[in-house]
Amino acid sequence: MKTTVVGSYPKPKWLLRIIKMYKEGKIDEKTMDEAYKDAVRAVVKDHEIAGVDIIWDGEMRREEMTSYFAERINGFVIYGEVRVWGNNYYPKPAIVDELRYRDELAINDFKFLREITDREIKVPITGAYTIVDWSFNEYYSTKEEAVYALAEVLNREFRELVKAGAKYIQLDEPAIPTHPDEIEIAKNAVEIMVKGVRAYIGMHMCYGNYRSIFPEILDFKVDQLDFEFANRNFEDLKILKEYDFDKDLGFGCIDVHTRRIETVEEVKNAIRMALDVVEPKRLYVDPDCGLKLLPRDIAFEKLKVMVRAAREVKDEL
Amino acid sequence: MHIITTTVGSYPRPEWFREYLKRMEGLQKELDVEVDRDVLRKAVREVIDRQKKAGIELVTDGQLIWHDFLATIASRIDGFYVDGLVRYFDNNLYYRIPVIKERIRRRGQILYDFKIAYEIESNIKAVLSLFTVLKLSRNIYYKSFEDSLWDLCDVLKSEIAELIDLGVKYIQFDEPSLLYADEKELKILEDVYKELTNFEAETILMTYFRSAKSIFPYVLDFGFDVIGLDFVEGFDENLDVLREYGLENVNVGIVDGRNTKMEGIDELKMRFEKIADATELKKVYISPNTGLEFLPDVKAYEKMKLVSRFKKVIT
Repeated sequence: MKTTVVGSYPKPKWLLRIIKMYKEGKIDEKTMDEAYKDAVRAVVKDHEIAGVDIIWDGEMRREEMTSYFAERINGFVIYGEVRVWGNNYYPKPAIVDELRYRDELAINDFKFLREITDREIKVPITGAYTIVDWSFNEYYSTKEEAVYALAEVLNREFRELVKAGAKYIQLDEPAIPTHPDEIEIAKNAVEIMVKGVRAYIGMHMCYGNYRSIFPEILDFKVDQLDFEFANRNFEDLKILKEYDFDKDLGFGCIDVHTRRIETVEEVKNAIRMALDVVEPKRLYVDPDCGLKLLPRDIAFEKLKVMVRAAREVKDEL
Repeated sequence: MHIITTTVGSYPRPEWFREYLKRMEGLQKELDVEVDRDVLRKAVREVIDRQKKAGIELVTDGQLIWHDFLATIASRIDGFYVDGLVRYFDNNLYYRIPVIKERIRRRGQILYDFKIAYEIESNIKAVLSLFTVLKLSRNIYYKSFEDSLWDLCDVLKSEIAELIDLGVKYIQFDEPSLLYADEKELKILEDVYKELTNFEAETILMTYFRSAKSIFPYVLDFGFDVIGLDFVEGFDENLDVLREYGLENVNVGIVDGRNTKMEGIDELKMRFEKIADATELKKVYISPNTGLEFLPDVKAYEKMKLVSRFKKVIT
């Protein structure tokens, strides 16, 4: 039983200021790069102090999870922002040409992180289905074609990542449960993405109705499925039980949508419920989703509570 | 055949207004703070000007402070309370679901933002919704759906009466959910919509996201002067509808409002010829098939220009 994170962590306030200054042209690229690295060091330290077993760099360089990758892959352009809900917008990419690998997506981030920590590392990257679902498609005649083309691009990145030493890759695919009718496309895309990739593969999903993707999701070629549970009062554990869940379980047990810090006792209870579904060695305890929308001190406290709860349950076993 | 260019409803917020709302309201679920009327007026004026500049003849107010798409109408009526986020049809867009907890009653003017737009430009459509508002909501109060329909109908009726008093000439009902209604619901709706279309204004029923085949022939008795059909998502079936029922006054949603890809004029022309062959058209609105806020502003503007260029080609 190990503890981990889904990916993002609140950016230090000073980093946000420096990013703003960089965008205004007041800071050069070298200084910006140094700031990113220092921010990663700070975030890694937070994770280490909290005691998380498998970490990532908090996604200091990523502003969000679609356009960051689209900007680095040939075939995408970004015309501007569109709304997701309320006052929340994102730069929605458009596919205007054949999708082709151009530049590394997370290899440099991985290498830097490898230099500064001894912890196990997980590399999260948004999956092909989700990026296409959250983009306009002007080029491919079907969505399916676009998804597979992007899956090939990501497959190359994953192979390179493994060459660089990555052992654990996480596909972020929150869009999958929002289109249960297209689950076959998502499944094929995963097969393309992980082909020849010798690493432990997790897949994170939030949003949508989980029930609608069972049992098909159990046939996906991944080692672990990671879901949010805390935000849904752990009711979805029932679904896992009904379908004889036989993958490793990424168990989201910290609610990232509330600033209330969970008590150790309630997280322990949640973990015990998860152990009712999978055995300890197949359980990965983590927050529901990335922590980036929380204030940093609260995110830090939540991680500490999570790790303490996991350790105490482990000791009881 | 009289051809008029128009938009369906929503339009991307001007960037400065988007930032203003972010500052005033934040990013969480607690939205809907009172927006300064002068600021709103400035934003609405900009969006109306943009439509006119692009060649749109019958404009809308752009629904700039509609945080929840059509469900916004519910948040301005007593009896509804907003709850968690839910997906808006098959879009990557979410709205706060209205929950009906008490009897639906009029609180005050619903389209206060439209009124500001009307002061700027009187040749403009007011957009309302009935069935879709209820279908987007969760009902924990009414025992029968029909009762909720009639209560909302009463609220909308007084809203329309007020709009007519102001001098508003176009009332549009956006009803994407109608395309999922069953026969029983459609039969009830006949009587309900009759109440809402019996006014001295042009009434338009706008449907989108799929073909409208399932609402025929019932919809013919709803009393609308114009029926809007989505010829991007439901081309073939909507063509059948035109042929079978011989519609004369139609809003032809022909430019894709949900994809940045720009249609070629020839391609649009070919499609329109099929539409014109299917029935004897008298009054035709041409427009994108949906509101334009699915697109970034630069593309939304291009799509409007495409609509107006297309009009020149077919007249």
